[in-house]
Amino acid sequence: MALLEVRDLVQHFPIAGTKKLVQAVNGVSFDVEAGETVALVGESGSGKTTIGRCVLGLIRQTAGTILFKGEPMGGRRTVRSAALRGRMQLVFQEPAESLDPRFVVGQTIGEPLVALGASRADREKAVRLAARRVGLAERFLASYPAELSMGLQQRVGIARAIVSTPELIVLDEPTSALDPTARAEIIDLLIRLQKELGTAYLFISHDLSTVRYVSRRVAVLYLGSLVEEGPATELFARPRHPYSVGLLSAVLLPNPHLRRETTIRLEGEIPSPIDLPPGCPLAGRCPLVDARSRENMPPVEEVAPGHRVRCFRHAEIAAMEPATDYFEAFQRETERILAPPEAERAGVGA
Amino acid sequence: MTLLPYVGRRLLFVLPQLVGILFVSFLMVKLIPGDPAVLMLGPFATPDSLAKLRAELGLDHSIFVQFLIYLGKAARGDLGFSWQTTMPVTTDLAQRFPATLELVTLGLLLALAIGIPLGVAGARYRRGPLRAAADYYGLLAGALPDFWLALVLIYVFYTLLAWAPAPLGRIDLSILPPEPVTGSLLIDSLLAGNWETFQNAAAHLVLPVLTLGLINAGPILKMTQATTERMLDSDFSRYAELCGLPHGIIVRQAFRNALPSVVTIVSVLYGFLIGGAVLVEIVFSWGGAGQYAVQGVLNADLNPVLGFVLYSAVLSLVIYLLVDLVYFAIDPRTR
Amino acid sequence: MTTPAIEIEGLEVEFPRYGTAPVKALRGIDLAIAEQEILGLVGESGAGKTTLARAIMQLVPPPGRIARGRVRFRGEDLAGLDPERLRRLRGQVMAMVIANPKSELNPLLTVGQQIGNVLRYHTGLTGKPLRDRVMEMLKEVRIPDPERRYDAWPHELSGGMAQRVVMSIALICDPRFVISDDATSGLDVTVQAQVLELLQRLVARHRTAMLFITRDIGITAHFCDRVAVIYGGEIVELAPREPFFANPHHPYTVLLLAAFSHNPRLRGYWHRQGTSAGETGPAETGCPFAPRCVRARDRCRAEAPRLRELEPGHFVRCHFPVER
Repeated sequence: MALLEVRDLVQHFPIAGTKKLVQAVNGVSFDVEAGETVALVGESGSGKTTIGRCVLGLIRQTAGTILFKGEPMGGRRTVRSAALRGRMQLVFQEPAESLDPRFVVGQTIGEPLVALGASRADREKAVRLAARRVGLAERFLASYPAELSMGLQQRVGIARAIVSTPELIVLDEPTSALDPTARAEIIDLLIRLQKELGTAYLFISHDLSTVRYVSRRVAVLYLGSLVEEGPATELFARPRHPYSVGLLSAVLLPNPHLRRETTIRLEGEIPSPIDLPPGCPLAGRCPLVDARSRENMPPVEEVAPGHRVRCFRHAEIAAMEPATDYFEAFQRETERILAPPEAERAGVGA
Repeated sequence: MTLLPYVGRRLLFVLPQLVGILFVSFLMVKLIPGDPAVLMLGPFATPDSLAKLRAELGLDHSIFVQFLIYLGKAARGDLGFSWQTTMPVTTDLAQRFPATLELVTLGLLLALAIGIPLGVAGARYRRGPLRAAADYYGLLAGALPDFWLALVLIYVFYTLLAWAPAPLGRIDLSILPPEPVTGSLLIDSLLAGNWETFQNAAAHLVLPVLTLGLINAGPILKMTQATTERMLDSDFSRYAELCGLPHGIIVRQAFRNALPSVVTIVSVLYGFLIGGAVLVEIVFSWGGAGQYAVQGVLNADLNPVLGFVLYSAVLSLVIYLLVDLVYFAIDPRTR
Repeated sequence: MTTPAIEIEGLEVEFPRYGTAPVKALRGIDLAIAEQEILGLVGESGAGKTTLARAIMQLVPPPGRIARGRVRFRGEDLAGLDPERLRRLRGQVMAMVIANPKSELNPLLTVGQQIGNVLRYHTGLTGKPLRDRVMEMLKEVRIPDPERRYDAWPHELSGGMAQRVVMSIALICDPRFVISDDATSGLDVTVQAQVLELLQRLVARHRTAMLFITRDIGITAHFCDRVAVIYGGEIVELAPREPFFANPHHPYTVLLLAAFSHNPRLRGYWHRQGTSAGETGPAETGCPFAPRCVRARDRCRAEAPRLRELEPGHFVRCHFPVER
């Protein structure tokens, strides 16, 4: 039994004053095993944030089941149940907005424990431990969020998420607001914490480079449907869905020679998730569209162990796309170019 | 949201809103100390005649019943009598309300004509004579009481210069008022083709309109200036500057974006001045609705007060509906 | 070489402070951009990128001011021009594409009106010819359904479409020089790809020079002809694209590139412990990057380095550049 099992999740939001629905999530299924990182990637309208909210029980899903440790989730009532309280946590995108500006950092980090009924002494101990784990100096516990840099603020957010030693943390774009150096530090921290605490991560992001580094498995979402899912290394090297190809070839790594070239070009913009036509959600933009995909949603097919795609023509894509992992190549090149000069490895500037 | 259903829904709400407003006013007037029966019959009335009058006036019922009786009559167009004027309230208001409306409308138009250009100029020029003029004007207009300004104007233009007619009402006593069609002397005299009456009425309007206009230009100026300035500091104005648009165009567009706020304050002023112009009305012996209502309050004469509340409430609600329609027209985001 | 489209010499911009010396937002920028060249400018927030953009347009928001240096557009010194001539240059000959287009568009004017206004007030065109030209522009930026979009309001547009509208405004007068200030941040990555491709096409077709300002160094590797890095109000490295990424010399450039590495030891080597972008500001004396530099020595703190040409076309401002 996986730690988290999502089956045929559907989430539709009615629009006030009309009969229309925002079809945010349309039948998504995936698992998260204990201690692993699964990434949900997609652009605006993909539904990834909504899925995160459903998984946490913040909103009640329209249809489908979410099982956390075998217990069904659905709405606030289940999150508040004693068995689930504190077992799941959330890290937000905007650190400044997720920390209450009136509380000092120490108070904010301890908040989840208040809900769990921990004594004051226990709380303080746990807060100090959490701060140490995220590399937050103890003197910052008495500071207000506004006094800290964004990187430190995000560490506070992470400390708050681990203070109840949850089994699953949902991270919603945790590094998007940070500049590249701070981003890298936070990612290292998250990886280290996972090793120490054995927490599973549901990592929601549009930053594919980071996702490749941090995740074991990746699920690609488009307009509320899961179009491709598989091990990160496999999927990034051999994407089988036109949207995955489009997404990966749009990533611009800082190396002029390494960019995914492809003949598959997606025209137009992402349509609104209201009143989606039947069939494959990408039909309106896909160069490989045909009558079959316009009318029918492609079924899930397993193309390699753990690698699933929803596309009628995935075999053609596998044939025409290069099976190169540009991200891996980029990492090797970067290490080669930026390796510290031999002569200076010993003496570094004071 | 489409227009017709929206207007329909708003109009539907007017009725319950009016009932609510009337009820609250009813309660408040009833709380005024003073026995209407005593006031009407004088201090020498016998207890018997007082009791009889009270029964007649329905004062021995509970407040709620009294209110329901009033509502019932009002629904049929009977707003009762004013015991001071001994006339039906509807007749009194038919004369007084248009007087106030004419005065306040013209006064606000003048206020707009002064306030908006000065406000825009104040926003456009951060320093210099125009800005100083706008700032000081706003300060003065807020500080001066309207009746005081009225008295000063009367003193200068009537007593000293004899340019204005005596502040004794809407027209000279010697002139016959025209057939009341709208209640506005200017319009009615034009409709009757009576040029002399028109001139006379206009002459009498000059000073009170000037008073209201000069004073109320203050808040309009400040609102225009503050909002236009904020629009000039906004991202889209800076962007227009980046695109090299002429400065005058940028200011004009900033003002257009500020228009909703100006419309709001005009609507608030309008509703307020219907009753709020009472001091000016008294100074000029205008015989307006505000004066009427104040006298009703002072003498616990319930019907004029309630009648005035009803009329001005209807007017305010209509104005607010019109203002919302204006927002629809100006701002595409509301649609 | 023909006269470059834009030449910036020794540009210094300062913001006065109460009671102490003014803050130098730009400390002497030297840059030249040729016709049809796309120069990328990379830096973190607060490094001076937007200040530079505004200074070029001679629109530094007061109380900031250009303290020294000059900006020449096709040989003409912009500082000496009268305000009316400057205004006519803006939008017509020099234009800017900005981030967050929805907040920069006037909410009470339609798309067609806003694009048309720029054309009208610069060229006097009106009526049908004006509308035709606007429609042409909308088609050129590949806005779907241009007839309907012409009458659309800004709040009805998606981020990608608003960006195309802003590009239309910038390019409608066929400018010689365009500054793109963070124009693709906040856009979905596939939309960004389309916008970049569009910009490339437009630059080639109109033979425009472009200054492409961004916080994402990855974009410059695929989109720009030359790349410059700005730190603490100074250009610290400038090179054509290939040598820039194959052989970065400045420790800050290396730090920026290392941030993309998955190797914590490599990153750790170039990142000075205890310092970060948000907390450690540029130094006021000596090399601005010294506080964060892993190779800083006494000379760096005492003496500000000058820009030197290490290889043809590859400039670095560092006493001890990284050499390979």
